[in-house]
Amino acid sequence: MSSEKEHRVSRRQFLTYTLTGVGGFMAAGIALPLTRFALDPALEGGDEQEMVAVASVDELTEEPQRFDYSFEQEDAWHTSEVTQTAWLYLDGDEVVALSPVCTHLGCTVDWDSNEDFPNQFFCPCHGGRFEKDGVNVAGTPPTRPLDVYEMEVRDGTVYLGRPISRD
Amino acid sequence: MQRGKGMKFVGDSRIPAERKPNIPKDYSEYPGKTEAFWPNFLLKEWMIGAVFLIGFLCLTIAHPAPLERVADPTDSGYIPLPDWYFLFLYQLLKYEYAAGDFTVIGAVVIPGIAFGALLLAPWLDRGPERRPMKRPIGSGLMLLAVVSIIFLTWESVDDHDWEAAAQQGEIVDVDYDVDESAEGYDIYLSQDSCIGCHGDDMLGTSAGPPVFESDYDVDEIIEIIHEGIGSMPGDQFDGSEEELETLAEFIANDGQEP
Amino acid sequence: MLQKIYDWVDERLDITPMWRDIADHEVPEHVNPAHHFSAFVYCFGGLTFFTVVIQILSGMFLTMYYVPDIINAYESVYYLQNEVTFGVIVRGMHHWGASLVIVMMFLHTLRVFFTGSYKKPRELNWVVGVLMFFVILGLGFTGYLLPWDMKAYFATVVGLEIAESVPVVGDFTKTLLAGGEIVGAQTLARFFAIHVFFLPGALLGLLGAHFYMIRKQGISGPL
Repeated sequence: MSSEKEHRVSRRQFLTYTLTGVGGFMAAGIALPLTRFALDPALEGGDEQEMVAVASVDELTEEPQRFDYSFEQEDAWHTSEVTQTAWLYLDGDEVVALSPVCTHLGCTVDWDSNEDFPNQFFCPCHGGRFEKDGVNVAGTPPTRPLDVYEMEVRDGTVYLGRPISRD
Repeated sequence: MQRGKGMKFVGDSRIPAERKPNIPKDYSEYPGKTEAFWPNFLLKEWMIGAVFLIGFLCLTIAHPAPLERVADPTDSGYIPLPDWYFLFLYQLLKYEYAAGDFTVIGAVVIPGIAFGALLLAPWLDRGPERRPMKRPIGSGLMLLAVVSIIFLTWESVDDHDWEAAAQQGEIVDVDYDVDESAEGYDIYLSQDSCIGCHGDDMLGTSAGPPVFESDYDVDEIIEIIHEGIGSMPGDQFDGSEEELETLAEFIANDGQEP
Repeated sequence: MLQKIYDWVDERLDITPMWRDIADHEVPEHVNPAHHFSAFVYCFGGLTFFTVVIQILSGMFLTMYYVPDIINAYESVYYLQNEVTFGVIVRGMHHWGASLVIVMMFLHTLRVFFTGSYKKPRELNWVVGVLMFFVILGLGFTGYLLPWDMKAYFATVVGLEIAESVPVVGDFTKTLLAGGEIVGAQTLARFFAIHVFFLPGALLGLLGAHFYMIRKQGISGPL
């Protein structure tokens, strides 16, 4: 009895510490692979997307037109042909390619579709609006302009890549 | 509990050999009309449960669970809506001071405060008083929250174009078999303005429906191509009248050589 | 015969104390609708539990046909609803039950709030109850995607955008939930796992704690 009191750490405390340590080791050993496994998509970066031919420059006008184009999309173990939409128009000689995805909550905007707001992109979900150049109209829900596609013009053909956010 | 010497067990187990009597407790001395849970009160609860279940099963039979057409991530015209119990949050994000530059307020701050307060209610309202009338602040805030949720849900339901949504989500049979060796198909492929909306498989894109979707006869199809219909413009076909007729026959025959 | 089986088991496992512990508790007059009609408000908790039981059972049976894969999910739901006998009822139970759980839980929460039953010493049970509220909303959100039809898909897209608007952790949370940058194959697999294993596990644990605390503390007294 007296000999136990002389020790700084009693036998019972020692056993409790060791128990906690071993328990912690087992919990960590199980949790570590599981956690990394679950977090994988958030930690791995997205894949590169190839540029896709969408339209030829002579089709474009000053008025935004919608172009649907498709490309191969890799979604983990599933590869599919997806169709994407872009709004293309000419600003002088420059080609502008806007993404139709509303920057508020991801619905789809349409050009000049609402009678009250001519010559604007209009989102039917929460009434978000964008000017022709994609800049959000102040006082409507979206907080940033429409994304622009990564774009390249080669031999009179417009190639688009992934949408890029411009803040 | 009886322990120590003289205790008898079943075999070499730790189960006491002496059986305890299986008798319900007597609640007759309890205040008021206290009743035993088993079986007296449970029977009443189950009777309520049975009535509830009948109503519930009638509902499931009368209204089959809705199922729209298969998800098409590329259909950009679809107007989304969350399930009804999230509508209040969805509607909140439509208001000026909860959207735009203030989205954080609508999406995080307001729901965060509301649900945080709900979670911490026992510590925000520590008084011993339990009657709702005697703690007006707590009751008032809760009533306000309930009224706002009902109001926001109502507004959201009112704003949504249910008919358009039902039509957008409808299951349509797009199982057409297009004969790609037909003459009509070649003519179609030469028409860029058709392909622009109806796709090069004639089965439609997000800008236009499959060309076979409506049951028109040859003359009607020719007229539609000439005059246009709905948002489809007329006079887009640049070929001869014979070609147009061949194409119309091909379409009227659901994608088979007539 | 039944009595003999009971005695046989009881001799070996001494189950009578456990059984009496479950069966013996008093139901005071003020919560008994047979004596005061207004006491029907005390039924909402029990009805919430009843619907949760329906949800668990119908959900278990739905997975006999359902396939959580973007190619087949919709087809399997379509098949079980239209081809399987009573499929329309089983899926209907799960679909309408989900709404009913929310309604009943909402009413139960209001009852507990307005009777002040969350006050000392029942604070912990209130917290567990609110946590279950969140778990059930999570079950509703993840379950909504599983049929992989139009409204399921787009409601999830919008829901994830809301998650993304949270400052700092929004982007990370969204990618983690969606299993990538797009709502696709990985999202469906994840939502299925969360809907079928993670959240129900949490719900059962919390339910156990909820009931244990009610029995330990007894129901709150009359106002």
